[in-house]
Amino acid sequence: MTPPVTPLPYMDTKPHGHADFYFAINATFRFILKRFGLEALRRYWQDMGAKYHQPVGERWRQGGLSAVAEHWRAFFAAEPGAEVEVIEDADEVSLEVRTCPMIKHLREHQREIVPCLCQHCYYVSEAMAAPAGLTVRISGGNGACTQRFLRQTSNEPGQQLADIKEAA
Amino acid sequence: MTGCYDFCGHYEWTFEWLRQQGGHELVKAYWDESINQDSQVHASTLITAKGFEGMKEYWGPTLADEGAVYHRTVTDDVFRIDMHECPSKGFLLRNGLKQYADYCDHCMGWIGPMMKGAGFVVDHQHNHCGQCWWEMRRKEDATAPSAPGELSGAEDVRLRPGWLRDEPVDTYQRATEPDDKTTA
Repeated sequence: MTPPVTPLPYMDTKPHGHADFYFAINATFRFILKRFGLEALRRYWQDMGAKYHQPVGERWRQGGLSAVAEHWRAFFAAEPGAEVEVIEDADEVSLEVRTCPMIKHLREHQREIVPCLCQHCYYVSEAMAAPAGLTVRISGGNGACTQRFLRQTSNEPGQQLADIKEAA
Repeated sequence: MTGCYDFCGHYEWTFEWLRQQGGHELVKAYWDESINQDSQVHASTLITAKGFEGMKEYWGPTLADEGAVYHRTVTDDVFRIDMHECPSKGFLLRNGLKQYADYCDHCMGWIGPMMKGAGFVVDHQHNHCGQCWWEMRRKEDATAPSAPGELSGAEDVRLRPGWLRDEPVDTYQRATEPDDKTTA
């Protein structure tokens, strides 16, 4: 039987992920940060975006902004507790993240959140987007943010990390 | 964003990323410090305080949420799990994801140190195909691991027709750390 074509390159047998895995993601960032520092953590994020998520970047390269929008709709539908609107127009795809599921779950369980956690969305997504000729701008964070996926040829100023809030 | 839906995929990828940074010892340190002592601190808190009852309280909801197909056998002296369909290894196999040499080692990598801290030892086998079994006993209890079917009857994963395949089986005896195994 031919497997179904979905916007995500990986499929599970259940519709949503297990939210406690957010504990491990946060703990992994903390481990790398403590052992090797912030630059190594950023390199980990960039490698994850470019290598682990390479199939996503390839889909975006082939399908353009529509593929970006499809990906994020399917992605957040599978993340428990996410409240995210995906807005697609001719020049960009915007994610209005009203409730970040990871920050929400970590807070509900009184977990200490790595302060730079929200930067990972920039570094991972930028590395995913680059092969597709796209770039990312993020503002906000700490539970709610806006993420914009644009063509690299747009005249947008570069990402300012100061525009991404620390998480707590 | 890094999601929980495909967590097992980037978790397994992370093992290999860490190995390339600092070798096998760094991966083991990650399983203990990051997963056991940080991510899963709720598990060690429960099990250290409540023993077998804590194991029931931890693994019951967790394995249900993860979508595992398993059988649990608990007596006054042993906590046994027969994992018939590991949701974690199953995700990797179904999606063709393999970066790290032996993903299955991560379970002993964090559960082993947790059990050591709580005063238990572990008998365990995994077949690298999504099936495994575990027996946790107090460290003072020298009882040997059960024979197939002895504790969990027909639910014993070793009685499955597909238990032994082309993949080797890793065996741990009274272990609490991931390298304490034999492969055959």
